Amino acid sequence: MRGAMNIYLHDQINSRFPLSRRTLLRGAGAALALPWLEAMIPTEASATETEDNSTDDAPIRLAALFVPNGVRKDMWTPKGVGRDFEMSETLQPLEGFHDQLLVLTNLWNQASNVGDGHYVKTSGFLTCTTINKSLGIDLNCNGRSMDQVAANYSGKRTPLPSLELGIDPVSTGVDTNVGYTRVYGSHIAWSGPTSPLAKELNPGLVFDRLFRAAHPTLGTAKRDQLLLDRVLADVGELKRRLGASDRQRMDEYLQSVRSIEKRLQNQQSGGMKHWQPLAKLEKTTRPTDERPDTYVEQVRLMLDMIALAFQTDTTRVCTFMFGNAVSSRNLSFLDGVSGGHHDTSHHQNDEEKLRQYQLINRWHIEQYAYLLGKLRGMKERDGTVLDNSMILYGSGLRDGNSHSPHNLPIVLAGRGGGRIATGQHLEYGRDTPLANLYAAMLNAFGTGETRFADSTELLPGVLV
Amino acid sequence: MIPHLRIVATVRLAAVLCVVSVWTLASSAKDASAQNSVPFSDSAAAEFVQSFCLDCHEGDEAESGLDLAAFASANDVTESIESWNRIATRVSQRQMPPEGSELPSDQNRAAFVSWIRSTIHAAICDDGVSPGRPMIRRMNRTEYANTVRDLLGIHVNAGHALPEDGAGGEGFDNAAETLFISPIYAEKYLDAAKSAIGHALKDPDARKRIIVATPNEQKSPEQAAREVFSEFLPRAFRRPALATEIDEYISTFNRAFNEDGSFDNAIEFTLVAAMVSPKFLFLLEQPAVPDKPTLVSHYEMASRLSYFLWASMPDHELMRLAEQEKLHDEKVLTDQVKRMLRSDVDRRGLRRGAKVRDFAKSFVEQWLGTRALGREFKPDPSVASRYDSELEGGMKYEPIFFFEDLLADNRSLLNLIDSDFTYVNRRLARHYQVEGKFREQPKLVKLQAGDHRGGLLGMSAVLAVSSLPHRTSPVLRGKWILETILGTPPPPPPPDVPALDESAETAKPASLRERLERHRADATCASCHDTMDPLGFGLENFDVLGRWRTEVEGVAIDSSGKLPSGDKFNGPKELKQLLLDHKEQFIRHLTRKMLGYALARGLNHEDDCVVDSITKKLVDDDYKTQTLIIEIVKSVPFRYKQAP
Repeated sequence: MRGAMNIYLHDQINSRFPLSRRTLLRGAGAALALPWLEAMIPTEASATETEDNSTDDAPIRLAALFVPNGVRKDMWTPKGVGRDFEMSETLQPLEGFHDQLLVLTNLWNQASNVGDGHYVKTSGFLTCTTINKSLGIDLNCNGRSMDQVAANYSGKRTPLPSLELGIDPVSTGVDTNVGYTRVYGSHIAWSGPTSPLAKELNPGLVFDRLFRAAHPTLGTAKRDQLLLDRVLADVGELKRRLGASDRQRMDEYLQSVRSIEKRLQNQQSGGMKHWQPLAKLEKTTRPTDERPDTYVEQVRLMLDMIALAFQTDTTRVCTFMFGNAVSSRNLSFLDGVSGGHHDTSHHQNDEEKLRQYQLINRWHIEQYAYLLGKLRGMKERDGTVLDNSMILYGSGLRDGNSHSPHNLPIVLAGRGGGRIATGQHLEYGRDTPLANLYAAMLNAFGTGETRFADSTELLPGVLV
Repeated sequence: MIPHLRIVATVRLAAVLCVVSVWTLASSAKDASAQNSVPFSDSAAAEFVQSFCLDCHEGDEAESGLDLAAFASANDVTESIESWNRIATRVSQRQMPPEGSELPSDQNRAAFVSWIRSTIHAAICDDGVSPGRPMIRRMNRTEYANTVRDLLGIHVNAGHALPEDGAGGEGFDNAAETLFISPIYAEKYLDAAKSAIGHALKDPDARKRIIVATPNEQKSPEQAAREVFSEFLPRAFRRPALATEIDEYISTFNRAFNEDGSFDNAIEFTLVAAMVSPKFLFLLEQPAVPDKPTLVSHYEMASRLSYFLWASMPDHELMRLAEQEKLHDEKVLTDQVKRMLRSDVDRRGLRRGAKVRDFAKSFVEQWLGTRALGREFKPDPSVASRYDSELEGGMKYEPIFFFEDLLADNRSLLNLIDSDFTYVNRRLARHYQVEGKFREQPKLVKLQAGDHRGGLLGMSAVLAVSSLPHRTSPVLRGKWILETILGTPPPPPPPDVPALDESAETAKPASLRERLERHRADATCASCHDTMDPLGFGLENFDVLGRWRTEVEGVAIDSSGKLPSGDKFNGPKELKQLLLDHKEQFIRHLTRKMLGYALARGLNHEDDCVVDSITKKLVDDDYKTQTLIIEIVKSVPFRYKQAP
């Protein structure tokens, strides 16, 4: 098994999947990512330690990748349904993953079919609820995102319950045209109705969190506990002093401090006593502190972090945003693309804009394929980390021009520990709830969930 | 949101949103308030309700539970303000009365809406204004960095690894309602505090200021620590520390000290604890009583002032005045505002690092949206070949230095519309082709006739963030003016409609104007675009990066425009003149923004009364910038709190 780890992913990428040569050349991220992957060697202990768990199964991981601004609709859907389907032009980069994929057609997110073009469809993407229209004071997503339902289940078994990653800082300001704060367009993970989860944007800092979590140093844990005692006492005192309606923020901070405390305690005893990283993380492999210059590098490094987090089993749940809602990111580093992402998505059926829109869609899919390739290159038990993962890719709207939440572009990859019936293009009746897929994914994840938000059943055909 | 010029399916809604409620420039109502001139009375309102509402809204079966049968007069409105605000909105947006029922004339509709609103306004404001709840929010990322800088006396950005903050309320990232705490925060604060304290204790000057006592033969480690924390905690918590609090921190110190016997380690450890305490991280005010405005305490006032005007902690003088209980005195407040806004100019004409710049930066970047430059907005290389970090810096800092100048030198706020000076650095001077000797830091420059600059609309940062990455957009720039200068954002285009394209022929600017004009032939589109587009065309002489141009690819630029009111202009200079005709509307909007920033929350109806009264004072006082700030500081919501 250890020998297998020496097979490196990048060789595979070059030979197996058609990432364009240009992307690789441009994407210095690929080059950056390469050297430190080699430093990851499975730990001796991992094989034996995990046997202490109640089950021999490898852990199941769940990630959701969100892309803003929809897709060109006529180039997304594969030809043919069932097992014999052909990749569409946009999905072409996934060709090498045919047997690891579920392409899902005709899902929609009914709760997001209101309000404005973007915010509702971003914050509601993983919650399947309708957010409050608000500039801030009544901000509420009215639910919880599916990744956080998963994290709630798996969080006690790993050092970090979940990771929230992104590229764009929270968009500035409030959108007075439509009456929503841009906070909504900048978050997909919600731990509760009024708690959007802040994203980490710096790959170096993500690495630090992973590293620290995987290397509990008991010497400082005792001291840190002493410090947290002091802080918690102050929180308690303030809570007593504040009126009931003012306690919410203090409660949030309390939970935030408690989460470190829990980790410290877990590391010394309790739930994670037997947790061991499934692969070793070397400090020398940390990405540089500065945020990389190019978007391509940033995306690649963030996807590397997801792969690392999953491989080491530091967390089993992760969300990633390629961009915030209405992202006007300039993607002209792609050959033949000249406009901003959002502007291009409002193609107004103009041939040239449609052409560029599809190139942008395809580039995002290439990055998805990059992550899948990376996970598939990571051996685990008799298979790969990808075999034990569910990696969702999608957007909150179909066509960027019309903002329609019907027939969302949704792909799921990875066999979820053998629980997902991959290798199919499944076409459902019009307007089948997206929440049915989430319910099925949570079920496969092990939460025992059979319902999620406005789901009506577990999406048929998904589970083995 | 964007420049989709769309033909509207649900025609009526969008048209009316613009016509009735949004845009006064279009209705030719210059600053003389249109509302006051509309004759309407209780009986006219009752007649309106009778004729157009009671069919559905009467009796036990009334739609939405809204029974208007008993409605007779203004008193009924003021007894349920929230409902009547909703009614005004629904009627003004033509959602009510519904289509298919008998409809009032446009004039009658507008008069009814205006009567409701002025009735509500009078009711709220004549009663006296209630303040908001006590402030309870964490520092935002900027405030955290500034506060750590001032607390420890070090010059590192301690907030760099904290998550970015979103904005709420009036559009600022200090709004209490959107300063969330994710689980990741405690970990980030712990890291940041460890690193900042570590840094400070390695710096001899900073160390001396923090560790004011060390153990010796006469002084036990605990006694020395007590001296250190008796100094440090009041500064960190921005108020006197209780004896019990000092005891608690000393007890933490002792436990750490007992582990390894190192005074230094235990001090460092306990300092970190204080900086992860919510007493440091949160701007916290004591609870207030309901039903009655309570003055904020003197220490609370010190923090309100310092986070408003410096985005940082109170300094020694503010703390001293708080201790002397002088911060309820209006004269003292006025003097403090003037002191806090000071920004000295050195021999070379440069403004050097005054703390007021942190305020100018936070406010201006978020009000104007120029924070997006280099972040959400990056110009396309095809139009920005010589774009570099010095130019970007010059662009970003021009409006910030400009506003700092208005604040410090107490100039007229109307300079924001047009001015005979601006601030440029070396690169920006070249970009603007203005004469003079400049370095990397922006410096004041007097503008000559023909420089085409002056005011916000000549600033390249503004012109850039209201463009698309690869070309200018008259629609976006027009929208920017409506939203940012006049405070009347157009409604979004309705979804799912067939569209016209303003961009397909980007290479042919002449045809862009033609296409936009053709598109405005549609009445629905016209209702908003008739105003937006001409305003934007007035700025077409500025390219994406705000460089002056007179033609695009051989076609001369036509920057003339005509507004629905009949007002005409030709070029940016006349456009600015037109905006000056609406200066009161601009000042009201700016006051609103500033009050929202100062209070660090979204505004409510009662706050609008404060906005109105400050606007009047500004009109009477030549629009002086310090008057705006001083009046806000003296206002009820800034000086008082009240339990909800």
